[in-house]
Amino acid sequence: MKEYTANEELKLREAPTETYVSNILRRLRRNRMGMLGLAMVFVVLVAVIFAGPLSFGKSPYAMLSPADLKPGQTTPEFMTPNRDHILGTDELGRDAWSRLLYGGRVSLLIGVVASLTSIFLGTFVGLVSGFYGGWFDNLIMRFTDTMMSIPTLPLMVVLAAVLKGGVLNLILILVVFGWMGDARLVRGVTLSLREQEYIEAARAVGASPWRIMFRHLLPNTAAPIIVSFSMSISSLIIYEASLSYLGLGIPQPTPSWGNMLYNAQNYIFSAPQLVWFPGLAIFFTSLGFNFFGDGLRDALDPKLKL
Amino acid sequence: MDNREILVDIKNLRTFFYTEDGVVPAVDGIDLTIHRGEVVGLVGESGCGKSVTALSIMRLIANPPGKIVGGEIFFHGEDLLKKSDDQMRLIRGDKISMIFQEPMTSLNPVYTIGDQISEAITLHQKIDSAEAKKRTIDMLHLVGIPEPERRFSQYPHEMSGGMRQRVMIAMALSCNPELLISDEATTALDVTIQAQILDLMRGLQKKLGMAVLIITHNLAVVAEMAETINIAYAGKIVESATAKEIFKSPRHDQRAIASHRGHGPVPLSHAQRLPF
Amino acid sequence: MRNFLVRRLLLIVPMIVAISLIIFILLTLQGDPFHQLLMNPHVRPEDVQILMHNWNWDKPLPIRYFNWLKEFVVSTFAPRAGNGWGFSLLAPGTNARALILQKLPLTLALSGGSILLSIIIAVPIGIFSALHQYGFGDNVGTFFAFFGMSMPSFWFGIMLIIIFGLKLHWFPISGMHSDMLPAGGQLVDFYAAPWLARLVNRAWYMALPVSVLSLLGVGGWMRYTRSSMLEVVRQDYVRTARAKGAPESVVIRKHALRNALIPIITLVGLTLPGIVGGAMITEQVFALDGMGRLTLQAVLGNDMFVAMAILMIDSLLVLFGSLLADILYAVADPRVRYS
Repeated sequence: MKEYTANEELKLREAPTETYVSNILRRLRRNRMGMLGLAMVFVVLVAVIFAGPLSFGKSPYAMLSPADLKPGQTTPEFMTPNRDHILGTDELGRDAWSRLLYGGRVSLLIGVVASLTSIFLGTFVGLVSGFYGGWFDNLIMRFTDTMMSIPTLPLMVVLAAVLKGGVLNLILILVVFGWMGDARLVRGVTLSLREQEYIEAARAVGASPWRIMFRHLLPNTAAPIIVSFSMSISSLIIYEASLSYLGLGIPQPTPSWGNMLYNAQNYIFSAPQLVWFPGLAIFFTSLGFNFFGDGLRDALDPKLKL
Repeated sequence: MDNREILVDIKNLRTFFYTEDGVVPAVDGIDLTIHRGEVVGLVGESGCGKSVTALSIMRLIANPPGKIVGGEIFFHGEDLLKKSDDQMRLIRGDKISMIFQEPMTSLNPVYTIGDQISEAITLHQKIDSAEAKKRTIDMLHLVGIPEPERRFSQYPHEMSGGMRQRVMIAMALSCNPELLISDEATTALDVTIQAQILDLMRGLQKKLGMAVLIITHNLAVVAEMAETINIAYAGKIVESATAKEIFKSPRHDQRAIASHRGHGPVPLSHAQRLPF
Repeated sequence: MRNFLVRRLLLIVPMIVAISLIIFILLTLQGDPFHQLLMNPHVRPEDVQILMHNWNWDKPLPIRYFNWLKEFVVSTFAPRAGNGWGFSLLAPGTNARALILQKLPLTLALSGGSILLSIIIAVPIGIFSALHQYGFGDNVGTFFAFFGMSMPSFWFGIMLIIIFGLKLHWFPISGMHSDMLPAGGQLVDFYAAPWLARLVNRAWYMALPVSVLSLLGVGGWMRYTRSSMLEVVRQDYVRTARAKGAPESVVIRKHALRNALIPIITLVGLTLPGIVGGAMITEQVFALDGMGRLTLQAVLGNDMFVAMAILMIDSLLVLFGSLLADILYAVADPRVRYS
């Protein structure tokens, strides 16, 4: 039998102690589509965080006055892309590139915050409902089913019409109709784990229900929740845009990708470039989050790999 | 030694799995011989490559991630690894058949058990469906399923685990195979049912005379049934002997394996208590 | 099975009541149609008073709610006795029922057509993708699935209009059919044209909207089929089928596919509710006069009874869609059928 030196021995012992997280990260790194998604998300994040410097000092609100026109330019509105305005100007003579960056800030903020809030709410409801079970669970789940049975978009439209726009209101609307899926997911996991021996053991040593829920059950729901988070940002950005498109989103003059499209659709004949870019931005961002979420799911669920 | 004709001769079989975390040599140079009508045991702890050996004989290793990278499996003197997929398909279920560990999930939930057994028959024999049905009912009767006519049109979920394993055996034996591979066929069952199924398999082996390769982690299962016992460890056969020899002087029992790993020997009083 | 159905139907009743309450509260917050009627100079205040009295609108909210719910149920099950789910503010002289029945066929055709189209496209691709997991075809398929899922439908619609309507002039960009059709060497009124010409003309007009709605569905259906199939091909019974000596085509078609399709069939029932929501955006983009646009007009225009009726019908579609899903599930899966 081979003799090992102390150093080799140490290495051998260290080898299998790769942690769960680093294991996942390694698998994620190998997933080309997932990494592409991550890169896309990164690009978008950088663009909206550094919207100020990236817009070359042009305000998203400032309207170009006719006095600022350079020779050869006729009107400050509907300018096609040129050296001063890389995406041109909109119907009010505002810099489209600057609006795109700042609009992304708003759209992304809504997507991320609404998604996080829905997940917190959904996880809490699912955890409590699944843990306590019985009539309580039944009641909560009937309510969840009821909420799911109401057609989302029409009801969002009603709520948006009642609440009259605004970032916070929009987030509220998206959360009200966004938590049910996560609640069901977490409840399912909780139900399947509730009877496991280690939960029994925790109970036997006198852990409080809250401790069991948050220390023992919650970590097990982390994987599906993280995937759901990434994917739901994508769908919430699209929802925000859809509501804005129907004229129920963020009110002017605050830019968001949705309301930029809403305005631009009136000029598809005269200035189609105004439609191109906000739509591409939504598409790019949501594709990025979807790719990333899918890569994450593959990394978290090695079962599917084999 | 054995003067019966050699049915299966596995030489230096190597089956590797190419996973994300590296190459796993599940089977790394296994040699195994099965004579016509012989009952052979392949025993070892889980992960030692015994199931992979069975699936390699059947050529049912999922690729990717698995691949048979070397060796030969002679069946009647012909190398199974050199056969085309179609030729192999004609052998599977006809000359060589296999029963699996999980009776609860090994039957297709959306077809009746009668359908599934008849399918195995009609795949290999040119007979009409009425004849196949008759044969199926005979097989169900043979494996001790009461009221076979009624059971014929039942779905798997309407049966217990033991009954389903009997169905699997009926399916495996329906074409009179020369070799039956039983991969942990009784492990998932209750102890009493386990004994019944083992009894049934013993009886059927005597009656039909096919060779049987019993794969298990439980020496007690093969102790009474197998003539030859092979003990596998880490993808290799570490001991091969007749059942009598093994129980008299175990060379590669748990103690041997433990010292192989570099730990001290584990005291054992009786081979049958091997906690494989 | 029958017990199960009865239980499910009984469960639906309280859910409908809960949904109706939520809808009523939300639309009450949104505005009061009678108030708007009173402001209309062409309507006599006395008439409004009578109408309000008929609807119990001079009474407290709970009574208004129960009265409306009662009227809704009556109009649904005994249309002759009812008042057609209430009057319409925006289309005076008609009631909600008439309006909805008039707009529904277009939406059903649009959504039905696109659901069918997306399934026909997506399921085979999803199966192929699963059978060649991580292969080139799978990666391309997955890429396009996410492509469709990440696309804002209205933007895609606008892009199609710009490209195929305005630039290439291949397809009409709005409306449901031409006014005049060529028939027998001359132009005749659309409704006088032969049925085949009318059908072709309608299909031509529907091409872009159906493409938009289908693209949205294809991604989801494909991913779903793929994961369902991936799940199934790993099952022990698929291995059993191979061990029997079944050819690969039989293993896939008979043993794997049949099981993989069970959840997909079920999902068809669950897609029904998306019909109006999905059509809302598409109808708006292509200026089609269907349920989706009606919903938007009713909600924004304070046309309370019409809006409530649409939302109720929508919710009923969801509930019966999931019931249908359960029934389909039972039909497809013997394990459910017999328990």
